[in-house]
Amino acid sequence: MATNGEEQQSQAGRHQEVEHKSVLQSDALYQYILETSVYPREPEPMKELRELTAKHPWNLMTTSADEWQFLNMLLKLINAKNTMEIGVYTGYSLLATALALPDDAKILAMDINRENYELGLPVIQKAGVAHKIEFKEGPALPVLDKLVEDEKNHESYDFIFVDADKDNYINYINYHKRLIDLVKVGGLIGYDNTLWNGSVVAPPDAPMRKYVRYYRDFVLEINKALAADPRIEICMLPVEDGITVCRRIQ
Amino acid sequence: MATNTQEQQTQAGRHQEVGHKSLLQSDALYQYILETSVYPREPEPMKELRELTAKHPWNLMTTSADEGQFLNMLLKLINAKNTMEIGVYTGYSLLATALALPDDGKILAMDINRENYELGLPVIQKAGVAHKIEFKEGPALPVLDKLVEDEKNHGSYDFIFVDADKDNYINYHKRLIDLVKVGGLIGYDNTLWNGSVVAPPDAPLRKYVRYYRDFVLELNKALAADPRIEICMLPVGDGITLCRRIK
Repeated sequence: MATNGEEQQSQAGRHQEVEHKSVLQSDALYQYILETSVYPREPEPMKELRELTAKHPWNLMTTSADEWQFLNMLLKLINAKNTMEIGVYTGYSLLATALALPDDAKILAMDINRENYELGLPVIQKAGVAHKIEFKEGPALPVLDKLVEDEKNHESYDFIFVDADKDNYINYINYHKRLIDLVKVGGLIGYDNTLWNGSVVAPPDAPMRKYVRYYRDFVLEINKALAADPRIEICMLPVEDGITVCRRIQ
Repeated sequence: MATNTQEQQTQAGRHQEVGHKSLLQSDALYQYILETSVYPREPEPMKELRELTAKHPWNLMTTSADEGQFLNMLLKLINAKNTMEIGVYTGYSLLATALALPDDGKILAMDINRENYELGLPVIQKAGVAHKIEFKEGPALPVLDKLVEDEKNHGSYDFIFVDADKDNYINYHKRLIDLVKVGGLIGYDNTLWNGSVVAPPDAPLRKYVRYYRDFVLELNKALAADPRIEICMLPVGDGITLCRRIK
């Protein structure tokens, strides 16, 4: 998550203490999916990046290998060529995207923190797909605003992936207002972490980590807003921590 | 499921007693997804068919609303035009498909039981999409064998959805892999089998759940090992395995 090192470390630690690694019935079921269909097929670079991130002293995130499987299939099904990613972190979904796209495809990747991206970059380079990526360090909103200013950029993206971090949640709705113009009609925007560890349905008195509770309100608002947006059709998928796939229809 | 009526009825009843309605952490979470993103968007005909089917004694066989929504989006994303469905029941996923395809889209739909299909057919007709559907009553294997015989049919389907007798999925797959186009999709339903794929050996399981579970486990292994496809096991509904043909 894109905050300073120390805060990241304790947040990741806290998040890890939450029991379920997924939003599924049981960890066993989640492991079954991973072991049956994901790990046997997982490309070497993805495995490498996953293991590299796990070893990191900050233990920055619990990478979900099922996300690779899903993104890989989705991107190939829609023949994506021009994509964007907001929130890169160590580059797991970015690498999954880069591996799925054709050789002349392009990914505009943004993250407030270059350090994390540079952690994963050697793996991405070794995989031979780094040339597809244009990385911009810094907040995404100004970049989006600039893109939207030029009408040539409207409807120019096949796929845009917004990968939550603490600060971005507050910005999801703001991103959406710009992304809806940048994605092509028939194209997809994917918002990550929209089931927020299942906490979207926790009773008001349930014990919850402070940051989980705080951001939960934003998640609930985001989900309502997306469901009410007439310019998109949506699908809330229980992959990883919940991905809401939005297909632009007008 | 393609067994005789009485067996189906008791099976559906038993399946209903199983705790989770979904594969998710909690029913509350599943309801949240339905209420936030599915029901508000559900087209009128699908709501109508869902409610009609809910009154039917074997309603546990039906496709869930979240799955219908997912299929609908998927079909639009891949611009599907020529599709197939094995296992129709009252036609919920068939209707979701028919609504997603363009006006000249085609669906070959097969089910061992015409009666259930005819229950839902009025809703499909009212929705103005029945003309896309060609329904064949009877077992699917003979139909598939005939299709495979003619090379013209190879690689002719954009999307094939299999929601039927689990003990035949592997047999279907051997034919479908030739009929679906390269880059096209086969979707196998119920591949997480109510989560029972990970139940310990001594867990109390309904007889039919345990019986078909072995077939499901075998199918999942076989699909994962098939080099002609890339797969994605999605925990939507009772688990859908998407298989994209790559060669």
